[in-house]
Amino acid sequence: MSNETDIKNKIKSNSSLFTNFVKNAVSASPKVQNNFLDVSAQVALTIQKILEDADLITNLEYKGKDFWSENKCKTSCFVDGGVDKTSIISSAPLSIRTGSYIVKPDAADKNREFFEESMVFLGDLYDPKNELYDFAEDDFDEDQMLNKKKDGARIIFEAVTIVKHILLNRKFDYCFLHGPIEATVMPFTVMGFPTFTKFAVENMLPFYNKNKLNAEARHFINVYLEALNSIKKSKFPIYGIVETSNSAPYIKNLLFNYKSKGTISEKDFKSTLATIKNYKITDSHLLEIILQSGQAIKPLEVKKQIKGFSVTSGSAWEEKMDSFPSVHIGYIKINDHSAPIRIESLNPSKNLIKDYEYILATARLLPNYGFPVGLNVVDKFAKIPNWMSKASRKYYATHLLKQAIRSKDQNTISLAVKILSKKVRSWRNRPLGGLAR
Amino acid sequence: MNTKKWKSIGTVLGETNISEFYFSLKNYKAKKGDIITTESKVPSSEGKIEEVTVWGKISSIESTNVFFPTEAAQELTNENINIRDTILPTTRDELICKVIILGFTLKNNLKLMPLNYPVRPAAPVSYPSSEDVEALLISDLNSEHPLFIGSLLARDAVKIKIDADNLVSRHVSIFGMSGSGKTVMVRRIMDELLKKKYPMLVLDIHGDYLGFIQKQKKLYPKNEVKLFYPNLSVSSDDKEIIYTLIDKLGNSLTDPQKDFLSSLLEKVKYEGGSLLKYIELLVRKAREYASDSSKSFKNIRPASMYVVVRSLGQVAKKLKNMEQTNFRHRQKMSKLKFEELPDAATEPEKIINKGQLSILYLKGYENLPASAIVSILLENLFKHRQEVEEEIPPFLTIIEEAHNFIPSRSEDKDNLPSVDTIRKVITEGRKFGTGIMIISQRPSRLDETIASQCNSQIVFRMVNQKDQRATTRDSETLSVDDSKQLPNLANGQGIISGQVVNFSLPVQIKFDAELINDDIGNENFISAVENWDDKESVKQRKKFAKDFSNITSIDRRRAN
Repeated sequence: MSNETDIKNKIKSNSSLFTNFVKNAVSASPKVQNNFLDVSAQVALTIQKILEDADLITNLEYKGKDFWSENKCKTSCFVDGGVDKTSIISSAPLSIRTGSYIVKPDAADKNREFFEESMVFLGDLYDPKNELYDFAEDDFDEDQMLNKKKDGARIIFEAVTIVKHILLNRKFDYCFLHGPIEATVMPFTVMGFPTFTKFAVENMLPFYNKNKLNAEARHFINVYLEALNSIKKSKFPIYGIVETSNSAPYIKNLLFNYKSKGTISEKDFKSTLATIKNYKITDSHLLEIILQSGQAIKPLEVKKQIKGFSVTSGSAWEEKMDSFPSVHIGYIKINDHSAPIRIESLNPSKNLIKDYEYILATARLLPNYGFPVGLNVVDKFAKIPNWMSKASRKYYATHLLKQAIRSKDQNTISLAVKILSKKVRSWRNRPLGGLAR
Repeated sequence: MNTKKWKSIGTVLGETNISEFYFSLKNYKAKKGDIITTESKVPSSEGKIEEVTVWGKISSIESTNVFFPTEAAQELTNENINIRDTILPTTRDELICKVIILGFTLKNNLKLMPLNYPVRPAAPVSYPSSEDVEALLISDLNSEHPLFIGSLLARDAVKIKIDADNLVSRHVSIFGMSGSGKTVMVRRIMDELLKKKYPMLVLDIHGDYLGFIQKQKKLYPKNEVKLFYPNLSVSSDDKEIIYTLIDKLGNSLTDPQKDFLSSLLEKVKYEGGSLLKYIELLVRKAREYASDSSKSFKNIRPASMYVVVRSLGQVAKKLKNMEQTNFRHRQKMSKLKFEELPDAATEPEKIINKGQLSILYLKGYENLPASAIVSILLENLFKHRQEVEEEIPPFLTIIEEAHNFIPSRSEDKDNLPSVDTIRKVITEGRKFGTGIMIISQRPSRLDETIASQCNSQIVFRMVNQKDQRATTRDSETLSVDDSKQLPNLANGQGIISGQVVNFSLPVQIKFDAELINDDIGNENFISAVENWDDKESVKQRKKFAKDFSNITSIDRRRAN
């Protein structure tokens, strides 16, 4: 990319940036709208210069047939979690599971590939006897807390699945997680977020704090931290792969490093960060136009859990944030028409180029979507299908009605019936006019 | 029946009903057309809950690998990558089978009863033993006279029998492309019926059934097998047929000429006998009337009469030609004894008799005369069955290349005399024991009324969609899934449905190699040319041809 015009043209022909531009047009002031293109181009040019200066851009090699012929002996594991997020009034059924797709291409049919349902939970989070979370009164808007609980469960299940593979001493050449290798824990630091049950923790991390599983030890923050520390000790490389980056951790850290070295002034650093924030510029947007197909950005070490940031500020967990491992973040641009994917690991890569080339090759098997196909496979495997969600909703609805009938109280029964027959007010349920069916 | 010995091959899926269900099949454990079972419970009429075995037939199998993205195939192809080298999944094919429910049986009773309560989702699906499947099919068929025809397509060990009583009385249609196995099937049925001494009349255009004559002594010593060549014998009752023949085979006539022809047929008395002789008589008489200055036909000009004379002459010539063609074909098979077709009106027992197979060899005859022959023959035989005396026993008529005798209206040949006759026989035949088996490679070209009267169908490979549609249209028992299978059937594989079986069954027909006509050969023309040697007459002509050619070339007086 030699000049600003080239960058501008690339922005114009780039779909995800165009989407961002439209978003800006809706939300931002007219002044901001007008110079979005100029600003994006200028930021991209600057970042490109820095990346080149730091020698962070690297070219990856991909020779489809030869690559797979050489790498067919490698065993890879792909992990993903699936959650049924729908709920019904008066109960919060949760179906969650994590699956692993383990494949060694050159093995004989019987041993070539395995689909494992590594962790499963089916239950009602409003049931005080549920085996996942200790029962707690929700302090704020129930949907918000419920969603946090479901997210928390998924994150911990995925991490624990990888831990399980490590504990079982599996001989993987690679392990990949669909999503960040370390999630931002900030949402779970809020007051009133329930602790996991003793039963759940014992099952998830059998080695963990066996003697004193007190409430604090069973809180998401501690359990997750324990899981991450185990993952960090893995003998095989583990990467989290993120499809699209909605933030700019790489660029911000890059600028921060240059500021720390004194190459960028404090003032420039702050103002550029402000610009990135104002224009909602993300790593994906910028790297999409900076990188060519088959190029990667070498990883930077980034702290994901920042003390004093937002809600963690003042939280009982604030001090714990420093204990979380830092994450090595890099990007690979798979093809010309999709945003680069984010590669995260808890440890620095020993064979960075080879590892990245492996990721590139697995993603090239989806030439349009540009994402490691193994993760696409495990995503389909772990997904909670509609029939399963339906069945669980039906089960809990029947359960509620049965309880009401058992009470023999007419008011309770009619209330239960009302709850079950209540329709959500949605545009899809609007009354039809005329003879419309 | 020891159901515990049956192997488990899958699990019933999601939503079920009383007519069909889907199940997930273990790899390679069953095929399309297989009979499978699942255990279920149904409420009895007394309100009890009974444990039953539900029987079903796999009507289709679909295989999907939901984990294999389409765009991955694109990359594999473009880069020439072997999928087995990549991390793409290769072993997660999901096999989903659709099952048509045949009914249920109670413990220790193999009577198949209609299911009136859905099968249980998630129930295991089993693969019953071949002996048990065969026992069920036989028990369910409940036939006094079963005929062995082959084995279940998906399972060679399961022998299939069909019900002879329904076959001979309720009419059968056999459809399929050329070479798909129709004749093999007919020969199989004929073999079984001959053993039961059931009389049959075969209208054979190509000589496909002459093997029965050749092997009669060896294979059917207790049967009589007769081979007839047509004799167009007519009586004064057959005026309409004669008129149609002359009208269609001769020149097209104007209305006054047609009037003359009708009057001629009225006036000229004929006691009955050869059609050819009758036409020759008509020619003579017509010429007389024409030269007689039309005393008998005042309104018709002699010129018109001569046109009719010429037309009649043409018909006579055509009939002679056909007779001679048929004769030449017969001569080729000098070892076979051909007899002139007896008059069905006066000597029906010579054609239809207990244990007798009569083959009418029609090769060489055009559609119309062949249709006339068949019409007169069947009309007479049917009359004899209608009469109180019943001079002949019940019999089965096998009509090969049926589209020649019963074409659909769209063929514009519905005035063929055989259409009305066969329509009458097939509609009323059930009462009088005159069953009909129609065989055709083009069901879409058949008369709909006649085809729909066939209560049983045996269908072989069929690619033409028009014919497939016609087959399902005419059948009450052939399902859409069955018809989808038709293009993929191999030689000798067919689907039997209707009253000869209780439910449609894909079958591999037993091939009776010994029943092939040795004289007809196997259409191996390449070998024929390889072994070709000129006839003596041709050799002689070639010998002198050069000399004659030399004379021509030096003859300077000859005009160029």
